[in-house]
Amino acid sequence: MPDTPRFTRRELLRSAALIPVAGALAACATPASKPAASSSAAPVATSAANPFGVSDSKPLEVWIFDGGFGQDYAKNIHQPLFKSKYPKVEIKHNATKEITKVLQPRFAGGNPPDVIDNSGANAMDFGALAQDKQLQDLTPLLDAPSWDDPGTKVRDTLDPAVIDIGTYDGTFSVLGYVNYIFGIWYSQKAFKDNGWAPPKTWDEFLKLNEAIKKSGKMAPFTYAGKFPQYLYEVLLTMAAKIGGPEVLVNIDNLEDGAWTTEAMKTSATAWAEIGAKYLMEGTAGLDHVQTQTAQNKYKVAMLPSGSWLENEQKTTTPADFEYGMFPVPDFTGSDKMPYGTLHSQPSENFIVPAKGANPQGGMEYLRAMLSKKAAGEFSEMVKTVSTVKGAGDGRQLSPGAASATKAYTEAGANIVYYRWQTWYLQLKDEAVAATGELMTGGLTPDKYLERLQKKADEIKNDSSIKKYKR
Amino acid sequence: MLFNRYRRGLFITAFLAAPVTLYLIYVISPYIQAFYISMTDWRGVSATPAFIGLENFRRLLEDGTFWKAVTHNAGLLVLLPLVTIIIALFFSFLLNVGGGGRAVGGIRGSKFYRVVFFFPQVLAVAVVAVLFQQVFRPDGSGMLNAPLMALGAKPIGFLSDPGVAFWSVLGVMVWQAVGFYVVLFSAGLASIPADMFEAAQIDGAGRLSLFFRITLPLLWDTVQVAWVYLGIIALDVFAIVWVMTDQHGGPDWSTTVMAAEVYRNAFQYFRFGYASALGVVMFFFTVGFAILSLRLTRRERIEY
Amino acid sequence: MTTTTSWTVANSRKLARQESRRRLGPMAILSHVALLLWTVLTVVPILWTFLASVKSEDEIFGDAWSLPASLRWDNFARAWEQAHIGQYMLNSVIVVAFSVFGTMLVGSMAAYVLSRYPFRGNRAIYLLFVSGLAFPVYLALSPLFFVVQNMGNVPLIGPFIGLNTHAGLVLVYIAYSMPFTVFFLSAFFRTLPTAVAEAAMVDGASHTRVFFQIMLPMARPGLVSITIFNILGQWNQYQLPLVLLQERDKWVLTQGIADISTAAGYDQDWSALFAALTLAILPMLVVYTVFQRQIQAGLTAGALK
Repeated sequence: MPDTPRFTRRELLRSAALIPVAGALAACATPASKPAASSSAAPVATSAANPFGVSDSKPLEVWIFDGGFGQDYAKNIHQPLFKSKYPKVEIKHNATKEITKVLQPRFAGGNPPDVIDNSGANAMDFGALAQDKQLQDLTPLLDAPSWDDPGTKVRDTLDPAVIDIGTYDGTFSVLGYVNYIFGIWYSQKAFKDNGWAPPKTWDEFLKLNEAIKKSGKMAPFTYAGKFPQYLYEVLLTMAAKIGGPEVLVNIDNLEDGAWTTEAMKTSATAWAEIGAKYLMEGTAGLDHVQTQTAQNKYKVAMLPSGSWLENEQKTTTPADFEYGMFPVPDFTGSDKMPYGTLHSQPSENFIVPAKGANPQGGMEYLRAMLSKKAAGEFSEMVKTVSTVKGAGDGRQLSPGAASATKAYTEAGANIVYYRWQTWYLQLKDEAVAATGELMTGGLTPDKYLERLQKKADEIKNDSSIKKYKR
Repeated sequence: MLFNRYRRGLFITAFLAAPVTLYLIYVISPYIQAFYISMTDWRGVSATPAFIGLENFRRLLEDGTFWKAVTHNAGLLVLLPLVTIIIALFFSFLLNVGGGGRAVGGIRGSKFYRVVFFFPQVLAVAVVAVLFQQVFRPDGSGMLNAPLMALGAKPIGFLSDPGVAFWSVLGVMVWQAVGFYVVLFSAGLASIPADMFEAAQIDGAGRLSLFFRITLPLLWDTVQVAWVYLGIIALDVFAIVWVMTDQHGGPDWSTTVMAAEVYRNAFQYFRFGYASALGVVMFFFTVGFAILSLRLTRRERIEY
Repeated sequence: MTTTTSWTVANSRKLARQESRRRLGPMAILSHVALLLWTVLTVVPILWTFLASVKSEDEIFGDAWSLPASLRWDNFARAWEQAHIGQYMLNSVIVVAFSVFGTMLVGSMAAYVLSRYPFRGNRAIYLLFVSGLAFPVYLALSPLFFVVQNMGNVPLIGPFIGLNTHAGLVLVYIAYSMPFTVFFLSAFFRTLPTAVAEAAMVDGASHTRVFFQIMLPMARPGLVSITIFNILGQWNQYQLPLVLLQERDKWVLTQGIADISTAAGYDQDWSALFAALTLAILPMLVVYTVFQRQIQAGLTAGALK
């Protein structure tokens, strides 16, 4: 799940409109594209200070996805920093909510911009871009000295998962800038006022649900019912905790019986019980904004989400709400992975088009973004956790971001993730449909997993669908 | 004479040139291309998609979601015209004939009703879909659930309960369509000579027999036209489902329709070849329905 | 004698009418109840939307039927300015005005020739047009995108009719309105008497003149009716502009509404969504109410063929 918000937002967009049509059609325009305009005219000498040979005379065109994080961070943090080193380079800043629609024709026309924050509901398909050789190989960026310290390579300032996830067809070409950290979110104020404590075991979690329900003050649990991927996120994380990370690796690799393992069964059964007993009324029909707003109004105590939540809710959150996050509880003492295991994945994906006019400038821009200063100010401004190691250190983080950062530090190497939902959209749609049914009692846990296994097998046997491995 | 024939030919050519050219370029050629694409594995990226013959069609036979969509279209094909026509006939009859007011020309306020009933028809489907998404909210902020909950009932998951969502879609489609057919049938009724009703009334015919013996037979032609319109709407439905329902045809595929599956496969899974194959199947269903209904409705009009 | 009889009959009918008007029988009451029920069903969702458009964000998420504490007209300001509803509406008006005019012009020309001039291939062309009634547009969407893109490369006029142009969209609208327009107008032309046209031809009028000066005026009721259908259809069109117009300042209203619905999810500005919905709905209802007599008369003519 490189970026749940990306998908929930996509859902939202989809539900709103047919907007992706144009983008997708523009995507079809790719084959008709002319050969790329030559971008390597008169190379500028490279140096330790200017590792890619950025030319002062070439403008730099930047496109930011204007979504949950807005675009101010680029204008007020990243671009001034870049300018401080290259005052003569003209930066053309742009922002849109519809990346694909606006930019895919540019790729088709052979004149893409230089830096793209390819995120949000209508992000372009990375696989298709990679296949079409549109993505600049960012390996030189990894090997370049970091902005802050010539003795350290950029590679060593990044969370390793960034490189793993950003590698397409063997080439590192997508830079995830934000670490999404998933867990169960609550109001620290509400918990304090009512004497509730974040649970560490499933048993405690059930008891807490029961206590909240009995208190009559609010509903215990909800999730974005319209987007059940929010729920299968915790379900899968718990299965990985019970059975180890290979549970998710096997699912990603479409292994036989990967969905119907004992760990998955245990987790599905456990969450179905929450669905049957503790959900806020009407959950099935609410989207993420509605459920999150209900939480802000103290109508519900807990919901599964990721570290973008605090920023997403900033307009409706009461000042003393104090977001907190706790990791998925231990199911039993014999879980394969210890308490504190987290699902985390780099996201907010930046790319440098290979056929742009100024890929050198593009890479340098990314190098500037990955400086401690830029990443730290970014984390502070948009209340989130960046993929640059230690960027949040000494920063004044908001309660939610602090809580997520703490959990992330405590998790250490116990991080799990899965990628099948971006690789196999059909499987994702089936999982979304079936998870909703599991939670409302329309499917038993066994039937639920059988159904997903069947879909996974179908995809495995469909030669027209490109397969991925991890 | 020869000159006249020449003039005539020139006239025909000149008048047909623009419409036929536009139609060939913008309508016919894309459809022909789509048929070809349906036999390829095109995913929107490669310049030279591989020709795979009927492979896509073989695959779609096993596509459970698509066939679910087909059954939903079939359901709508029967229910949408049936419900809409019954309601519209009922109201147009009340408005024009059976209101107990003047025998012909309508019940008091009939003009007002006709104007109001037609309102939904002038709204764009996309607007209606967004509107009803809000109306159907599953909690106390929903227009329909708020009074239900005030009465102590459990809120209904109009769009979130797989057993209910299809009916919500049908309901919205009927809501939007009825007004148009009330006006259409009213127009038809207005063309029936007033004498016929009055004569029948003087003969002591009740409202029911008035309806079944006079209104319905004389309106039969219009009803058939309505049936064909509504049938095509039912087969083509997309925006309501895509914009209004959860997960675009959900929950759990309970509202998906053929057009949504075509769209989903093309623009979300980037399987343009496969999507075109689904489109071709949809094409044959629609054309089949059109031919069938043309056949069935080609009958003598009742002259009066 | 006959006149007296018919007078008596008419008079007695008049009396009967007056009589029946006076008593509002139980059936009439029931009828009114039924009609009022549907009126409520029709109007209330729309009024509810209007109500929500002046509510605050919190109130929208609160009880559906609560009244707003204060009227938030700024919702409209946001919908109008930030969401450009005004611009979209203007675009819609421009596109629909030109395309409906074009549709009616070429559509009636085609329909007239096909209905009144037998020639080899007539039936084939007619069927080609009419078969389009049954084509699901989704099948054609992606190839259509390329067709329009290629039209953009036509020398001279290309830049005006390619992607992201209103003229290009107008041409596509015209083409996709042909099946319906030709089908109904041919049916209509067939019902018109031939005598007048034949007489004019004998007098030496050209085919073109007969069409514009005699047949079109005679076909007026049918034309009005099909025009109304086309206005409604093209105003509501959603998929085609979405595919063909990607630049925001070119968008038509349906795209705009969808976009605001999207943005509402990001910015949590549902109140602006309701305001935008209101802005999209209200003018249509006003225009419709003002012209409802003509619109309904037009439909009447269409129904009678």
